[in-house]
Amino acid sequence: MEIAVDVKNLVKIYKPKTRALDGIDLSVESGIAFALLGPNGAGKTTLMRILTTQLRPTTGDAYVFGLNVNREGGKVRRLISYVPQEMSVWTDISGYENLLIYGKIFGIPSHERKQIIDDALANMGLSQVANSLVKTYSGGMVRRLEIACAILIKPKIMFLDEPTIGLDPSAKKIVWETLTSFKKEYGVTVFFNTHYMDEADLYSDRIAIIDRGKIVKLGSADELKRSLGGETISFSLAGNNINETTLRKIRTLTSVRDVIVSNTELNILSENAETTLLEAMEILRIEKIPLEKISIMKSTLDDVFLKYAGSRLETTGRMSEVTHTRDMIRRG
Amino acid sequence: MIELELRRLRHDRTELYFRAVQPILWIVIFGPVMGTIKAIPTGNIPYTDFITPGVLIQSTTFLCIFYGLTIVWERDSGILKKLLVTPASRYATVIGRSMASGIRAIFQGLIVIPVALIMGVKFIPNPAYFIFAFVIIFLASGGFAAISILAASFMKTRERFMGLGQAIIMPLFFASNALYPVQIMPQILKDFSAFNPLSYVVDAVRGLLITGDLTNLPIDLAAIAIFDVILFILASVSFRRIIE
Repeated sequence: MEIAVDVKNLVKIYKPKTRALDGIDLSVESGIAFALLGPNGAGKTTLMRILTTQLRPTTGDAYVFGLNVNREGGKVRRLISYVPQEMSVWTDISGYENLLIYGKIFGIPSHERKQIIDDALANMGLSQVANSLVKTYSGGMVRRLEIACAILIKPKIMFLDEPTIGLDPSAKKIVWETLTSFKKEYGVTVFFNTHYMDEADLYSDRIAIIDRGKIVKLGSADELKRSLGGETISFSLAGNNINETTLRKIRTLTSVRDVIVSNTELNILSENAETTLLEAMEILRIEKIPLEKISIMKSTLDDVFLKYAGSRLETTGRMSEVTHTRDMIRRG
Repeated sequence: MIELELRRLRHDRTELYFRAVQPILWIVIFGPVMGTIKAIPTGNIPYTDFITPGVLIQSTTFLCIFYGLTIVWERDSGILKKLLVTPASRYATVIGRSMASGIRAIFQGLIVIPVALIMGVKFIPNPAYFIFAFVIIFLASGGFAAISILAASFMKTRERFMGLGQAIIMPLFFASNALYPVQIMPQILKDFSAFNPLSYVVDAVRGLLITGDLTNLPIDLAAIAIFDVILFILASVSFRRIIE
C-alpha cells in the first residue's frame, strides 16, 4: 500500500513561543479517508497547512506521496487539492464562473474544461444554480461548490479543513456522500480535520486524535472505541434470584470480560455486545430467570475523545465554533 | 485573473461609477475654476485640458492602490490560501492580480473621458494615440496594484490598509505633475517627482492625449517598465507572507 502522507517528528513554533505542533509522527495510507480529530487549537489546521505547503515547519519533515512539502512544494501542489476552513470562492460571480477560473488556474485544457466543470457541478448537485451568483447560495451550497473546485483536477489527495463546519445535518450528509463516492471512484485519499465526533466516526477509515500539538491516539473508529474496554449489556431482572451457576456460565462466554451483579441489575462487560447478548439471553431463558428490560451501552467516540484529549472540546471548541460560524454568516 | 475581473465587472459596476465621481469633480469644478485665475503656467493649453490626464491617472491609481483591499478580503476568506496551494506560481498570481486591476482602471478611464469631452477638453483626434495611452494606463496600473499587494502583505487588516493606502496615494498625487508642471515646484519636490512613477505615467498620457509632444515618451515607458518589474518582484516575494 502506497503511503500518502508521511510526517516525521514535525514541530511548528509560532513566534514568540506558541508550540502549535510538538513532534508529530504520522503515516497515512493512500486511498482511505483519514480524520484528524481534535479540539480547536490542537494543531489540526497548522498540520494541514504545512502538508499543503503553505507554512514551513520549524523542524522535522513531511512528505506527500514521497515528495518533501518543504523542498518540492511545486510538485506537491500538482497532486493535491485543498479546501480551507474559511469560505474560499468569489461571491460576486456565479458558481460556474468560479469553477471556470479555478479550471484555468489549474491549467485544465480548454477543450476538456466545460465537460469537467459540468461533471463537477452535477456531482455536487449544483447544476441548477450554476449560473446564479454565489452570494445567493446557502452555506451548504457554498461548501459543495468549494468541493467541486477541489475535485476539478482529480487530485491524488484532498485536504479538507473542517469540511462541514456550520452546515445543517442534511447538507453535511450530502457533502459526505459525494466525498465518499468520489473517493471510491477515483481512489482519492481524503485527509480531513474535524472536531465533530460523528463525522470522524461515520466517514473515516482511520482517525488520529490530536491534542496540544501531539498525536495522542491512532486507529480506526472501532479500534479506538474498543480500546476503552468494550461494551456493556445491562439486564434488569424481575426478581433477585440469579444463582452462581448462571453467572459462571455467562462468564465462560467467549467475548465476555466481566460480569457484575448488583441487586436486580446484571451487567455484562463484553468485547462484542451483539453476540454476547444472544448467548446470554439463551442462558437466562434456560435458567428461567425473568427479565424486565435490556439495554446495551457502547462506548462512543466521545468517550474515546474524552479519555485521550480531556474535556477541552466542550470548553474551547464550542466558543470558537460559534464565532467562526458567525463569521461565515456575516460574510454571506 | 483578468477574466475574473471582467466577470466581476459584468456583474457589478457600481464601484466604478462611484469612483468616477471624484475625477469628474476635478474636471468639472476644480479645472475651470483654477483655469479662470490662470495661476498656473500650463503653456498654451487650457488648465482643464492640462489636468485631465492627471486626474484620470489619479483616479485609476487610486483604484489600484485600493485593490489590495480585495486581497485583504481574500486573505480573511480562504481564497488566498487556496490560490497559493494551486500549481500556479506566485509570480503568475501576483502579476495576474495586478493586471486584473489594470482592467478595472481602463474601464474607469472610459467613464471619465466622455465627461472630459463634454467639458470641452480637446483631445488629439488620433485613435492610435488613445489606444496607446490606455495601454500605458493598463501597464502602470499593474505596477500600482503591485504596490497595493505589497502593502497588503504587511498590513493584514482592512483598517490598517485603508490608512496606508491614503498615506501612499496623496504624496504620489501632489508631488507629481498631475495638477501643475514640475518646473514650478520647489527643488526638493522636483527631486522627489523624478522618482515618482505617477509623473512618468501622467507625462506619457498627457503627451499622447493632449499635447502631442512625444519627446519624453521613451523615458516615460522605460521608467514605467522598471517600476513594474521592481514592484512585481517585491510583491511576489512578499506574497507568501500574507497568509502566514
